Amino acid sequence: MLEGKLEQASLFKKLVDAAKELVQDCNFDCSETGIALEAMDTSHVSLISLELNADGFSEYRCDRNITLGLNLTSLTKILRCGNNEDMLTLEAQEKPDSLIIRFENTQQDRMSEYALKLMDIDQEHLGIPETEYAATVTMPSTEFQRICRDMYAISESITIECTKAGVKFSCEGDIGNGSVTLKPSASADKPEHATKIELSEPVSLTLSTKYLLNFCKATGLSDTVTLKMADENPVLVEYPLSSGHLRFYLAPKLDD
Amino acid sequence: MAATVKRGTPLTDFTNIPHSSASQPAGDTKRVKYAGNALKQKKASSFEEDLERLEEEIGHSAENDQKWARPALPAFDPKTTPIVFQQIDAEEAIYNDQPVVRLFGVTEEGHSVMCNMTGFYHYFYVQAPYQFEQYHVNSLHDYLDTLYPGAIYSIEIVSRWSIMYYLGESPSAFLKITVKDPRHINRVRGGFERGQVEWRDGNVGFALETTYDNIQYVMRAMIDTKLSGMSWVTLPGGEYQMTAEKQKVSSCQLELQIPYDRMIAHPSEGEWLKMAPLRVLSFDIECAGRKGIFPEAEVDPVIQIANVVSRHGDSKPFVRNVFTLNTCAPIVGSQVIENRTEKEMLMGWRDFVREVDPDVIIGYNIVNFDLPYLLDRAAALKVHDFPYFGRLVHVKQDMKDSTFSSKAYGTRESKVINIDGRLQFDMLQLIQRDYKLRSYTLNSVSAHFLNEQKEDVHHSIITDLQNGGAESRRRLAVYCLKDAYLPIRLMEKLMALINYTEMARVTGVPFSFLLTRGQQIKVVSQLFRKALQLKLVVPNMHQEGSSDEQYEGATVIEPIRGYYDVPIATLDFSSLYPSIMMAHNLCYTTLLTPEYLKRAGSTLKLGEDYERTPNGDYFVKSGVRKGVLPVILEELLGARKRAKADLKKETDPFKKAVLDGRQLALKISANSVYGFTGATVGKLPCLAISSSVTAYGREMIEHTKKFVEENYNVEHGLKHDAQVIYGDTDSVMIKFGPNDLEECMRLGQVAADRVSEEFINPIKLEFEKVYYPYLLINKKRYAGMYWTKPDKPDKMDTKGIETVRRDNCRLVQTVIETVLKKILHDRDVAGAQEFVKRIISDLLQNKIDLSLLVITKALAKADYAAKQAHVELAERMRKRDAGSAPTLGDRVAYVIIKGAKNDKNYERSEDPLYVLENNIPLDTKYYLENQLANPLKRIFEPILGMQQTTSLLNGAHTRTISVAAPTVGGLMKFAVKTEVCMGCRTPLTGAFAKGALCKNCMPRAAEFYRRQIDSLNGLETKFARLWTQCQRCQGSLHQDVICSSKDCAIFYMRKKSQKDVQDSTAQLARFDSMAW
Repeated sequence: MLEGKLEQASLFKKLVDAAKELVQDCNFDCSETGIALEAMDTSHVSLISLELNADGFSEYRCDRNITLGLNLTSLTKILRCGNNEDMLTLEAQEKPDSLIIRFENTQQDRMSEYALKLMDIDQEHLGIPETEYAATVTMPSTEFQRICRDMYAISESITIECTKAGVKFSCEGDIGNGSVTLKPSASADKPEHATKIELSEPVSLTLSTKYLLNFCKATGLSDTVTLKMADENPVLVEYPLSSGHLRFYLAPKLDD
Repeated sequence: MAATVKRGTPLTDFTNIPHSSASQPAGDTKRVKYAGNALKQKKASSFEEDLERLEEEIGHSAENDQKWARPALPAFDPKTTPIVFQQIDAEEAIYNDQPVVRLFGVTEEGHSVMCNMTGFYHYFYVQAPYQFEQYHVNSLHDYLDTLYPGAIYSIEIVSRWSIMYYLGESPSAFLKITVKDPRHINRVRGGFERGQVEWRDGNVGFALETTYDNIQYVMRAMIDTKLSGMSWVTLPGGEYQMTAEKQKVSSCQLELQIPYDRMIAHPSEGEWLKMAPLRVLSFDIECAGRKGIFPEAEVDPVIQIANVVSRHGDSKPFVRNVFTLNTCAPIVGSQVIENRTEKEMLMGWRDFVREVDPDVIIGYNIVNFDLPYLLDRAAALKVHDFPYFGRLVHVKQDMKDSTFSSKAYGTRESKVINIDGRLQFDMLQLIQRDYKLRSYTLNSVSAHFLNEQKEDVHHSIITDLQNGGAESRRRLAVYCLKDAYLPIRLMEKLMALINYTEMARVTGVPFSFLLTRGQQIKVVSQLFRKALQLKLVVPNMHQEGSSDEQYEGATVIEPIRGYYDVPIATLDFSSLYPSIMMAHNLCYTTLLTPEYLKRAGSTLKLGEDYERTPNGDYFVKSGVRKGVLPVILEELLGARKRAKADLKKETDPFKKAVLDGRQLALKISANSVYGFTGATVGKLPCLAISSSVTAYGREMIEHTKKFVEENYNVEHGLKHDAQVIYGDTDSVMIKFGPNDLEECMRLGQVAADRVSEEFINPIKLEFEKVYYPYLLINKKRYAGMYWTKPDKPDKMDTKGIETVRRDNCRLVQTVIETVLKKILHDRDVAGAQEFVKRIISDLLQNKIDLSLLVITKALAKADYAAKQAHVELAERMRKRDAGSAPTLGDRVAYVIIKGAKNDKNYERSEDPLYVLENNIPLDTKYYLENQLANPLKRIFEPILGMQQTTSLLNGAHTRTISVAAPTVGGLMKFAVKTEVCMGCRTPLTGAFAKGALCKNCMPRAAEFYRRQIDSLNGLETKFARLWTQCQRCQGSLHQDVICSSKDCAIFYMRKKSQKDVQDSTAQLARFDSMAW
């Protein structure tokens, strides 16, 4: 038996919106520690790893591990039935054939309940092991989104070069090229507007703009975004959540 | 458990795909034969067994086995002995400075003949100028002699009618201008047409003239001597002259000449329907290409040439041999001729062809591959003596490119090679012309027609086999021999030689025209033959009309769509268009021009002497003048009737085949007459005829509908109102109402007879069949059980349904076929739904065999304007490995894989093998939505309605899916797999990480273990069976399978099965490390 209550439906809505850009059908693994989703996109270039810890819910209960196979397009349809401010409850039985989704408005005078039929998805469970990163950049998530969007118009790949002096995003396309350099800054009053760089050695990675832009769908979830990089390794793009995380991994483009 | 689940369905039942079982003797004798020879039994492949048996059978019955030369010519006296032969080819030639038609042929005893038909001069007609008299002839002749020195042979005034229009009874004066050399005719003709003939005597002279009777020399000569293609000829003793040995130009046993008017041409009837023992050579070559490049004649050697020769009418080929480069282990039943050098081999083959002297050369794609390759290779090796294997010993074989374009057959590029005196009959060209298939590789064609597979050795492997030892070359030789033998089998099975011979005889054109020319020449030949008889001349029309000119075609009664669970009677007009032309006397010669009608209208009466067609044209009735086309059609249909009657009486299977081919040829010819009049870019288009024909057709269908609905209803004492639910061109489908099959048949028969009475003879409405039940999907799309007798259905009949289209995957075809069978044959709609659900569910869970999902398309040209899946894939494969990538002309096989969101189809096409090897997930949704959904909707909607059909495609059964994890993709090399519990799919961690089950499922461990073992056993058995299947097909159970045929369902199944076994073994191994 699973029961999880979120104070605001918007969080879950945004998470699903961010995930559905990459995956269609996926398994949500529910355990006593929380709800997790780990899935690769269909072309196996990126991976989404989502964790909603139990303490992020106002109420949470999960007696035994349950796997919920969901079609995200269908899930989105149901989530649209509730308002952002509504309270959201997810509920499933021991051997569920559907997921119950409940909305309750702030005045507590309107309650709605929907059931989404579950799918049985036979999929391999893949994850990216923890690695040492040579560079960690934390920056405002809107800034990152803007860079990706701007550069998507020019080229299908972005090169991110990280040095002590700053982080440089550059791209080269048929119509021309462009670059944006961010220097480490420390604005004391608004820490979320700052760019922070931790570096053990300089790193340079070339990545697919299309996928980065897909990750940016999560911008609304967090003010900052962290990029963790190591040469010839997948980049980790993390949007911190108050309890849990939303991580994206993206394989670098290698010259071949 | 996929294997066990699917074995029951027809989709994946590989057990009943037959292997080589070519006309084997009864099983018992075979077993006895090998009982004492265990070693032999082990080694011999089925095809080798065939070879061996051929030798035994022939060896016992005749001494002629493997004897190349023709029977020796006995001594005879040319003064008294007539020579009778079947001529197979005719060509224009110069002999003693005179134009001749050179006929090649074979006598009944099998002696080859070349006969020069002398003294025939080519001619054309031009209308004589007004007041042109006999005394003008010499003056005109003199004038033309100065204009075209030495060209004119004679000028004659003759009375003829022009074939165009009815212009009264009296003939007009024409000049028949005969030229000495057929090559001059076009200059002289052109002169008249361009107004360059400025001869004038007072008012008498030429302007821009229309010339008449434009036809090539050989055809002209054949028409005037009444010689038709493949017919028999008698040269009476004393009339012909033997060519002196020194002057002989051919390798024929008999070389002679005869004046054209002394020769007796036999019409192909009765006794003269027979066939001479034509020698048919089928051959195939193998070349050793380099890795990744399709063999090029400049560089890559020819390494083997296999030959099979049979005499027409004999059941077994009497020569089977293979020329090999380097040594080759012996093959029982076949000669192996080893050669040290390529030059030696090429020359050896040339000498072989000369000695065996085939009349027909066949093979598979020989015209565009084998023959050009041999010629190019010989040129590259400077073997200058090679290209002389025609019957004219001094004529070199040359190649030309040609483009053949026809409305009926489309545009094809091909090579033309002159092998004088020998017919070339490429089975690939024939099959492409006459049959619509998914694939035209020799392998799939033989699978389709002969139920026999062959191994498909990719050309990159051939080199390895050649570079191996004598044993591996032997393997290649057997393969090559089989490729040479199959075309002969195909030819026999399809009765291609017989049918084409009959077509040549019926239409009168030489055999070689049938493959190299279009439909029109056949009608032209018949038209000219008839015109000659009736003293008609055919104007030389210049092609002005554009091909876009359209006229209204046949009518289609709007279908009342639905599923009919009552008998639907079908009434057909037999030979509708020909009978309309006959009934209404529609012809060039009966067409009245408005001007003539105005002028002579008073002498002709509408309705009595002439009639107005629904299209608004006027034709005189047969009482005034009988049209040529109706006469031709009457003869054709009459001959067909006779042939069909003879066919019923005939017992000899060989003669039966000839007669059947004949009646088919007659039917096709009759139907092509209408098309000829409507071909706007044709030789003699006449839209007044063709649009009148279709207009009559439309009227008749409408009338039939009206008549049936008005006369078969409750008012007339029947229980139901009859309703015409559909009609197309020449048929109407009637729902009479009763549930009783017999009653419907009776009603259909009566209605057909009554309606026939409404129309002019010979138009006849026939009751042919009843569909019950009947599924009418749309115009030209329907299916039903076909009944001609009330006791049991004949077959299931489908039209326009996705069972034959080639641009979808085989899954669609099999599913549709099974569904229709269940609905129509078994009347089990629920079962059909269940079946569809199971298939969809299997599809989403990746349980469908990959071979069923493969789509193939030919890579026709390098740059398409729009991006296409198969072109893009070929490009990607080339980047991956240039060696195995498909080249121009290959068929590209592909599947659609899952891609990123918004990826186009062409970005998601992938090589099926690559998909198998790397476990790439397929876009099952694509297959469901883009391939299966629409055809299924079309079938089920009339039965179940919209709602239920939708649930059929989106119901609960679509909620279990399986997604493969590929081994390629940017992130895969970084990812770590977490095993999930085999019971409930939760990820395994901690102490359970290495095992197979999670804590909760542990108590049921034994059950899951058992299940896994069962599954593995099933997969292993399946793989073993597939592997032996392939070994049998390749002909040896002791060798590795090297076949990579992309058309073969078993190939993918075998590859997939191999992988399944590996995966399943790995899964099972997880139990080993489990903490029990």
